[in-house]
Amino acid sequence: MYDFVVIGGGSGGLACAKEASQLGQKVAVLDFVKPSTQGTKWGLGGTCVNVGCIPKKLIHQAALLGHSIQDAKYYGWNIPSDITHSWESMCDNVQNYVRSLNWGHRVQLKDKNVEYINAVGTLVDKHTVKTVDGKGKERLLSTDNIVIAVGGRPRLPDIPGALQYSITSDDLFWMTKPPGKTLVVGASYIALECGGFLTGLGFDTTVMVRSILLRGFDQQMANHIGDYMSNNGTKFLRECIPTEIKKTSTGQYSVTYSDKNKNTHNDMFDTVLMAVGRNAVTGSVNLENIGVELDTTSKKVIGGYKNNSERSSIDNIYAIGDVLYNKPELTPVAIKAGKLLAQRLFNNQTQAMDYQNVPTTVFTPIEYGCVGLSEESAVEKFGEENLEIYHAFYKPLEYAMVTERDVSQCYIKLICERQSPHTVLGLHLLGPNAGEVIQGFSVAVRNGISYEGIINTVGIHPTCAEEIVKLNISKRSGLDPTVTGC
Amino acid sequence: MVAEVSVEGYEAYKKAAEENKSKLVFALFCGSVNANGESWCPDCVTAAPVIADNLKHAPKDSVFIHCGVGGRDFWKDQNNVFRKDPVLKLKSVPTLLKIGHPQRLEEAQCAKPEMVKMLLEED
Repeated sequence: MYDFVVIGGGSGGLACAKEASQLGQKVAVLDFVKPSTQGTKWGLGGTCVNVGCIPKKLIHQAALLGHSIQDAKYYGWNIPSDITHSWESMCDNVQNYVRSLNWGHRVQLKDKNVEYINAVGTLVDKHTVKTVDGKGKERLLSTDNIVIAVGGRPRLPDIPGALQYSITSDDLFWMTKPPGKTLVVGASYIALECGGFLTGLGFDTTVMVRSILLRGFDQQMANHIGDYMSNNGTKFLRECIPTEIKKTSTGQYSVTYSDKNKNTHNDMFDTVLMAVGRNAVTGSVNLENIGVELDTTSKKVIGGYKNNSERSSIDNIYAIGDVLYNKPELTPVAIKAGKLLAQRLFNNQTQAMDYQNVPTTVFTPIEYGCVGLSEESAVEKFGEENLEIYHAFYKPLEYAMVTERDVSQCYIKLICERQSPHTVLGLHLLGPNAGEVIQGFSVAVRNGISYEGIINTVGIHPTCAEEIVKLNISKRSGLDPTVTGC
Repeated sequence: MVAEVSVEGYEAYKKAAEENKSKLVFALFCGSVNANGESWCPDCVTAAPVIADNLKHAPKDSVFIHCGVGGRDFWKDQNNVFRKDPVLKLKSVPTLLKIGHPQRLEEAQCAKPEMVKMLLEED
């Protein structure tokens, strides 16, 4: 008999399980990694640790370092011209680091007295979870409460060859040989990040985009990212969709695709990476049969019952993380929601998860950090006439002496209410270390900072972040937003 | 049954590890005992019976190296060979390692039966 069974050992599930156990509950967490379509497997910790944020950021850093080596010439370093990069040694180190995190999670669960069960969990009824391990051994767990934290997995387009020949982000970070000439299909942040770092590592990379970049994100910023990437070596095929992948006798993949005029084209690639979206993996949990309401298209758990964002239509069943319908799919969101849920259930706390003003960063070669509303959402919600949008194109000092560095997309946009007190609705930053900069500003935005609150703050010179507190040109004024000098 | 090997000092450890490199090797690093059998490292003393009890969980054909890292003064030198070794990178004693894998337990963790069992068992 358990108090609390968490299905899914990703960031959210683990945080929630540990918090509940610390509050004296008897807790089990179930995690079982079904191999990817290409057979890739990994350990405890979920997407972020194994096939998401962590390996992605490390490889992004590898690409940034390559750029820095080139910049270093301008700073007096004698750089040999024959510098090469080893995909194998990078991935070896990334994988060893990820494995150490897997182990660290297992140690923490033991330390916090959470039972880890390496098995798939299926609901038998609202208080019974059946577990099936890798050897087919079954167990029935009785529990008061259940948390669904099974997350999502990449989706493949339904075209001939995709299942057999394409890889996804589940496989990329665990590849043992370099990807070579790569086609990335998709325009999500995952597609652009992967396309960006592969270009940065020197691979011939093409991103195939069906319609717009970064759906749901501010489109002016998204298009700046596309421009930056195009100007810095990533090829784009716009308004194209793949129709078939075939393997050739040389081991390469022949990809057929059609453009907006329905004309058919073909090209050869060493690797085809699909990044067209992710599906919630609720399929094996048997949720609908016991009455948990799922969104019909996404198969995500609908929360919000009894005024509780994480509570499903069944009283004692909750959902957190990527599997919760209509909430941001971000590790820190899942962790915070999971901890708060445990505190409400087992410690008489009342604090709900605040899903508003969640900051995030897209780690494309030019990083994009944002918090709050996109310009499109702000216009829709408040009307253009009720907004004042400040913006600036700026030049990071670290690139000032590096003539080949392209800074034309280093840009900031601050969206404020036009009426006093000029509350900040959204902040968007393109440039180096955008994540580091936006994290701090997100504290202010979350706490209702006004435009004056931002610009009355003294900057730190010389930094990129100071350009935010110096913002003074509004879009409405039509003045040139290019920052010059100090 | 796991084969136990006891060694004293870094060179002896390296030799034992090299001799068994084709096998799965676990290594426990503890403060060395003096002529009277007394250890300067209380955590090592606490961990010893817990580890002994759980050795039965180690895969057969594996090797378990008990290594004394030396006296207290030698160990406390922040530049000693155990700390500087790029694979071992020891920070504390006792440390229990699965060589070539990320599995590592340090100090009080080595006295927790569940954690020791988890490290020694096959994945």
